[in-house]
Amino acid sequence: MLKSLLGVGLAALAATALATGASAQTLDKIKQRGTIVVGIKNDYKPWGFLDPAGKIVGMEIDLAEDVAKRLNVKLDMVPVVASNRMEFLQQGRIDLIIATLGDTAPRRQVIGMVEPNYYAGGTNVLAPKSANLKQWTQLKDRKVCAIQGAYYNRRVTQLYGADLVAFTGIPEALNALQQGNCIAFVFDNTLIDSTLAGGDAKWASYEMPLVTEDEQAWAIAVPLPELNGAYGEFMKKVSIDWHKAGLIVSLEKKWGIKPSPYVQDMHQKHKAM
Amino acid sequence: MKPIACHTDLPVLLPPGPALTVARGESGFGDPRRIFTPAVAIGLFAAFVISVLVNEAAAAPAAPGILAALWKWAPLIFQGFLFNLLVSVLSMAIGTVAGTALGLAQISLLPSVRGASWLTTQFFRNAPWLVLLFYCMLLLPFEIKIAGLTIPLPAWFKSVIGLSLPVMANVSEVVRGGVRSIPLAQWESAETLAFTRRQTLWMIILPQCLKRMMPPWMNLYAILTMATPLISIVGVQDSMTLTRAALSAEGRSELLVPMYLMLLGWFFLYCYPIARCTVALERRFTVKN
Repeated sequence: MLKSLLGVGLAALAATALATGASAQTLDKIKQRGTIVVGIKNDYKPWGFLDPAGKIVGMEIDLAEDVAKRLNVKLDMVPVVASNRMEFLQQGRIDLIIATLGDTAPRRQVIGMVEPNYYAGGTNVLAPKSANLKQWTQLKDRKVCAIQGAYYNRRVTQLYGADLVAFTGIPEALNALQQGNCIAFVFDNTLIDSTLAGGDAKWASYEMPLVTEDEQAWAIAVPLPELNGAYGEFMKKVSIDWHKAGLIVSLEKKWGIKPSPYVQDMHQKHKAM
Repeated sequence: MKPIACHTDLPVLLPPGPALTVARGESGFGDPRRIFTPAVAIGLFAAFVISVLVNEAAAAPAAPGILAALWKWAPLIFQGFLFNLLVSVLSMAIGTVAGTALGLAQISLLPSVRGASWLTTQFFRNAPWLVLLFYCMLLLPFEIKIAGLTIPLPAWFKSVIGLSLPVMANVSEVVRGGVRSIPLAQWESAETLAFTRRQTLWMIILPQCLKRMMPPWMNLYAILTMATPLISIVGVQDSMTLTRAALSAEGRSELLVPMYLMLLGWFFLYCYPIARCTVALERRFTVKN
């Protein structure tokens, strides 16, 4: 009984998804309405965050603006979170994701990851020096703060057996770390670098003790059926252009993000081509 | 007592007397209304705010400008707060209209109508609000196409619908309960005076229910307003989302408590008068049997 009910429910869901799915060519749709709708983050400084006037700014917002400029359309930004961005893209509510999206195999089944990847960051932890961490394996069965929906959460849990305490926002997680609710905060290494380099006194007794690992590429994403269509190809060209022109290198500088080796490599590689 | 001049031959209610006897008997010494007077409530709230601020100041003496940061973000977050109020008003309006219809259907003479509306009411009344919200967000499309016309259904509107469902069910119960609370004799006397059922309902029963339904209705509105930050979980940009975004932008964990406290204060200042008003109305309308 339960199974059949569930089946009916799922079928209904699928039908809704089909009815509202992006069957139209997204590129035509964008040009026709004169606006590209991009899913971005507004709570992930400095990639995408709010300024006190309510405007969303950040590195990924600059990238979204660049895409809109190339298409000669207006930019409409929809703030997304890890749990809804892929659904929004599938439903057609947004045309593009530029929202710190890790390019993983399971996600590739669902949405179209544009290559080359525009960014890559590794995973590391921010921990008080007194915790005396040396190796990832020391995290076993210890409480580790994390952000909900981050791609590296699974790895840290499965590989090292850390007991994750996941928060919705970065300030909440940092607060928990400072209050000693967890031994370390697992996060993007570039952001930890920027935090520590910021010179804030309260981080003076903290460090990034482990070897950065799990270099994870980030991708902008288009609807899966269009990855190899005109829209996907266009976005691929844009991404290559970004690397070639060194746009991301200069944006890292602009937003105070420590240079990522991946971005440097890609810039050198594409510049030579 | 002078007879009151009536310009109708219908047996309508007399105008309410100036002072109804307040029921004090059942509310003994332990009545929270007596202990929790407005002054005490506001005093408690102020004490809470001060203790938190003192605590914060002690914890982070080297963090100046907490107030400055609050001041900087207040206009933006306040806009979000106004948006929460808009959502609450719209949900309440839709929920009240739909709930009134559903409540009247619950006292219908047709068993099938009565049964169906009873089931609907019970279903939405006993479902968690957040779950209903999720259902509305996921199942309603983001736009509707009717005869070539595309009507967008923005996320905030879907959340209004989602919140109005439990409101509808609760209003339905308020209406049903209100009607049931009128003594049966009123129906019988109306019948002897050859009123139709509809006339009895609209001219005799409902006008009497209205004031009885006011306090629970206002209570429901206050609860709804305080529940509106739920929409931040389903991705609507309300005051809660903006507070979180502001905290991320500041990146200072010592702002966490003061920032949320500011938001809490606004909700309190908005909802507390409603609660006071409800209590006052309840007192006014309670009569000794």
